[in-house]
Amino acid sequence: MTSNNPAVFLLMVNGQIEAADFPEYDDLYCKYCFFVSFPHKLNSQITSKGRGSQSLVWNFPLDITFKSTRPQIVVSVYGPDTFGNDVARGYGAIHIPFTPGKHTKPIPMFVPESTSRLQTFTSWLMGRRPEFTDPKVVAQGEGRDVTRVRSQGFVTLQFNIVTKDMKKLGYETTSEHSAATGLTRTSQKL
Amino acid sequence: MAELHIIGQIIGATGFPQNSLFCKWGVHTGGAWRLLSGLKEGQTQVDMPQTGDMAYWSHPIDLHYTTKGLQGWPKLHLQVWHQDSFGRCQLYGYGYIHIPSSPGQHRLQCVTWRPLGSWQDQLAEMFVGGGPQLRSPDLIYSGADRYRLHTVGMGTVELELCVILRHFDRYGVES
Repeated sequence: MTSNNPAVFLLMVNGQIEAADFPEYDDLYCKYCFFVSFPHKLNSQITSKGRGSQSLVWNFPLDITFKSTRPQIVVSVYGPDTFGNDVARGYGAIHIPFTPGKHTKPIPMFVPESTSRLQTFTSWLMGRRPEFTDPKVVAQGEGRDVTRVRSQGFVTLQFNIVTKDMKKLGYETTSEHSAATGLTRTSQKL
Repeated sequence: MAELHIIGQIIGATGFPQNSLFCKWGVHTGGAWRLLSGLKEGQTQVDMPQTGDMAYWSHPIDLHYTTKGLQGWPKLHLQVWHQDSFGRCQLYGYGYIHIPSSPGQHRLQCVTWRPLGSWQDQLAEMFVGGGPQLRSPDLIYSGADRYRLHTVGMGTVELELCVILRHFDRYGVES
């Protein structure tokens, strides 16, 4: 495991998609994928359905290691509407944290909105709501300035992060080192 | 050369009079900084929250800068706009915040302000909407020539940024 001149750093992520909080919807399932800029790598998986009054618990595990990239996780939540069709209930994305340790992050979920009232009504009737065809749009910043969305819930993710060789490559991701030296300096003055 | 990574998102905004909001953002740096990858400006989607007061954008920011000096540390400036049901856009606030200089995860709150016109402008605004805007967005993040500006405070924009520094200690910089 020892390397004298590392060329890459590793980012290991353990975690879970813990629960969802959608005040108006029930009976939801979620898909997630990891989005990496170069090259594109997508793993999607369907979780089990959850039932609950206010908070839906999934407890779905995440376990993946990345090499020298800045990954994001994109979560999509789907559920049945009044007619029984599966519609998108929310999309959300977040960068995987770089600082080692435990992180709990609630991410807001949003759905694209129809452009007119007539379209909202017909899509409600037909069960074909507007959805994002490509999860890339949720992860990237470009092309979002023309979309109208409605945010309607949260999904809580928990991450445990371990990094390897980031310090050797010169990256500083926490300021604990400087905080510690600050403390020793003041105690010497006393 | 030292490098700086800014990875995070503009989470959303709260405290504005109406909820259907979007944000135009940009990052301004001094001359010694060079952008290696990432988009340094953009516009978020328009969010209409179903429940609650906060509009959520979750707009990703992923920038990689390299620098020869500490002057001109990156500043993120924002303009929050409101889009009504007819598709008209109205300015709701300007704000700016310095990118944190210590590495790690930071949860930031950026306060915003809006220019206020004369009492005739304010009366017209009450009926028709609209309002005065800055001619050049440079004034959002520079302190010069502000004393004649009459403004009113608006809501707050929340951001979560992870700052990663590289090779700063080689040049003797402590952060």
